[in-house]
Amino acid sequence: MPDQTGTGTFLRFAVRRDRVRLPIWVAAGAALMAVQSSSNQEFYRTPESLAAYRASAGSNAASIAFSGPPVGLDTVAGTIAFEISSPLVLLTVLMAMFTTARHTRADEEAGRTELLRSAQLGRHAPLLAATALSAAASALLGLAIAAAATLSGLPAGGSLLLGAATASVGWVFTGITAVCAQLTGVTRGVYGLVGGLLGLSFVVRAVGDITGSGLSWASPIGWAQATHPWSEDRWWPLLLPLAVTPLLLLGAARLLDSRDSGSGLLQPRPGAEAAPPSLAGPLGLAWRLQRSTLLAWGLGVTLLGFVYGGLAESVKTLLGDNPDAQVFFRGDPTADLVDSYLGVTLRITALMVAAYGVSATCRTRSEESAGRAEPVLAAAVSRSGWFGSHLLVALAGATGLLLSDGLATGASRAMASGDATDVLRLTGAAVSYAPAVWVLAGLAGALIGAAPSAAVPAAWLAFGAVLVITLFAEGFDWPAWVTDLSPLSRTPTAPAESWAAEPLLVLLVVAAGLLTLGLATFRRRDLATG
Amino acid sequence: MSSVISVSGLVKTFGRTRALDGLDLDVRAGEVHGFLGPNGSGKSTTIRVLLGLLRKDAGTVRLLGGDPWRDAVLLHRRLAYVPGDVTLWPTISGGEVIDLLGRLRGGMDPRRRAELLERFDLDPRKKARTYSKGNRQKVALVAALASDAELLVLDEPTSGLDPIMEATFQSCISDVRADGRTVLLSSHILAEAEALCDRVSIIRHGRTVQSGTLGELRRLTRTSITAETVHPATGLDTLPGVHGLRATDHRVTFDVDGDHLEGALRHLTDAGLRSLSSAPPTLEELFLRQYGDELAAAGDTGIGS
Repeated sequence: MPDQTGTGTFLRFAVRRDRVRLPIWVAAGAALMAVQSSSNQEFYRTPESLAAYRASAGSNAASIAFSGPPVGLDTVAGTIAFEISSPLVLLTVLMAMFTTARHTRADEEAGRTELLRSAQLGRHAPLLAATALSAAASALLGLAIAAAATLSGLPAGGSLLLGAATASVGWVFTGITAVCAQLTGVTRGVYGLVGGLLGLSFVVRAVGDITGSGLSWASPIGWAQATHPWSEDRWWPLLLPLAVTPLLLLGAARLLDSRDSGSGLLQPRPGAEAAPPSLAGPLGLAWRLQRSTLLAWGLGVTLLGFVYGGLAESVKTLLGDNPDAQVFFRGDPTADLVDSYLGVTLRITALMVAAYGVSATCRTRSEESAGRAEPVLAAAVSRSGWFGSHLLVALAGATGLLLSDGLATGASRAMASGDATDVLRLTGAAVSYAPAVWVLAGLAGALIGAAPSAAVPAAWLAFGAVLVITLFAEGFDWPAWVTDLSPLSRTPTAPAESWAAEPLLVLLVVAAGLLTLGLATFRRRDLATG
Repeated sequence: MSSVISVSGLVKTFGRTRALDGLDLDVRAGEVHGFLGPNGSGKSTTIRVLLGLLRKDAGTVRLLGGDPWRDAVLLHRRLAYVPGDVTLWPTISGGEVIDLLGRLRGGMDPRRRAELLERFDLDPRKKARTYSKGNRQKVALVAALASDAELLVLDEPTSGLDPIMEATFQSCISDVRADGRTVLLSSHILAEAEALCDRVSIIRHGRTVQSGTLGELRRLTRTSITAETVHPATGLDTLPGVHGLRATDHRVTFDVDGDHLEGALRHLTDAGLRSLSSAPPTLEELFLRQYGDELAAAGDTGIGS
């Protein structure tokens, strides 16, 4: 079988390259499972709270759309399966997509496959090794989920079934990614195609689950959720992914045979012969480089706002009878529960927008180290003009994301409440996170100016700290000084808390200081290429 | 003639590495100046200091009458640069990059842009991701050559070009020179430098070891002589400045230092000169001589600076 020559060697090499990232994915899955299991066992330990949950979530279209079919909600284990299966599936699919694409199309695009193929490596070896690695990693993730669930006190049989069902979606998407990697010649294109198919699988399944029609059977996520872990414990739906995955892999191999190495089956569209007027100064360039990413973020954030806003009405019935959950959605106990819930969701989205702000700011560093800043700065463009343009796109982009999140949340909330002022109120609450997001982006900018080689990891470390504080500080009752380190925590959780100008002004001053420091240090230092 | 670039005693260190160690460079208005040296000798570092991308540690640097660090933006309106390793934005087409760079520099000639695309046989509609190394270099070259810049700074601009494009490049540089513009051309390809350059500077370990016109450099170095004489030309080895002598009965081959050429020729005439061929050193030989001690694994210590 000369086409497969060298698969073992390539696989060992791939394992070595992924020896850090794969364990992180697996650990994240186990941690998600453990946290969900222990918090649900805590919240719904009384039959009354469980009944209230069942009455609310089981009849709420938005929560069914987000989670899955409302089965087995008469047990705590059933609520856990209901709430955790979507996040686990998402995690597994992302891992499978990145792992498969990284060792197939990404290597090929970078020219590494060509070098290896010139040695004793068969045509199918990279594809075979990459999909084997991805399938094995999905299986490991499934086992880790099963272990975490069992250890948290859930029945072992259902735990194993949930793990296997989650892994099965990873296998299907390993096959889908393998096919997509043959279609387009660009790694980002593979991610776009697979991401689109993931979204489609999610929507098809959501519509099927809400309408109760058989449409969920058209989605690989629907197959996994049809196993109903800890209630009916059905194994037979997993026959579907087991049948489809090999077909997808065979299809990918056939497509691989019918194309040239280095190219995809879909030919890229040619670009423009001349630049549009907008592509002129450094700002035009920064906008051109960031606009498609920003657009994708905008779509995602707007959708999220609609879903979160739409869920708000059900929160009333869901939480009204559950004092423990009221503690989770913290704040003034007398405050409107809905506002409290909306305050938390707006903060979580602001956290995601902060991630955009940091990554958009770090774009300057990748432009610089890849040598693409050099020809621009060798033209009549000042250091501050170039750096400032990217920062402006990052800050304005993040603000735009907060605005569209607020508008979407407000609009879908107003549709349910019939109160049009909700739009303004929630938009204001979302946009009030702008100074906090600017502080994080500004910190990344200051680091890039002052310490370019360590800047990107340091900026993400700071973001990670804010993420941990935002998600866990309240629940674990950490001291106030820890919480105060996070600019997000310093922003009032409007609309639950009353809006205050002073903390926002402080954050604005800090952001301005950090941005000035970044610009000043970047102007004075050597350009760091490579 | 006034100097467009004047560098003296330039020092640049990166941590403990001394990349530039007192480098001198003088480029006069209207000339094509070759900037020669092997990898790691400091050519690109010098160019980056000239462009204000790196900050000097010591020495004086003047570019177009200004300070390249302080006056970077003003000076960059008057120059165009082609990096040694051209990286472009993968999703932007070559034509768009050419226009962008032209606009960032403050203008280009659209007629010349079209003509250069034709001459370099470059498809401007392809996304930069799909260009080969040579095509990326052509994008940067077209952008630079189509500009109205009075100074072109080219860092190994032809390392990815095929021989036909190399010839196109040479004719473009001749046009640039005819327009009275100035070119600083760092290069590995000595035949190219020999064909194009009015003057060259050879650098080594961050220092300038030789600088001047090719004629001046040749006078400073050795000429290869092959001669046939009526009588055996004995005693050549006792003359000063004669190296690498090989003699058969009536035929001698040797190298002689420029300032001892006359004495050696007189000696040959005395022996009854029958035929003579002399070859001035090529740039390649000049260059290799500067680096002779690195090339020679052992012996031959007479070569070198």
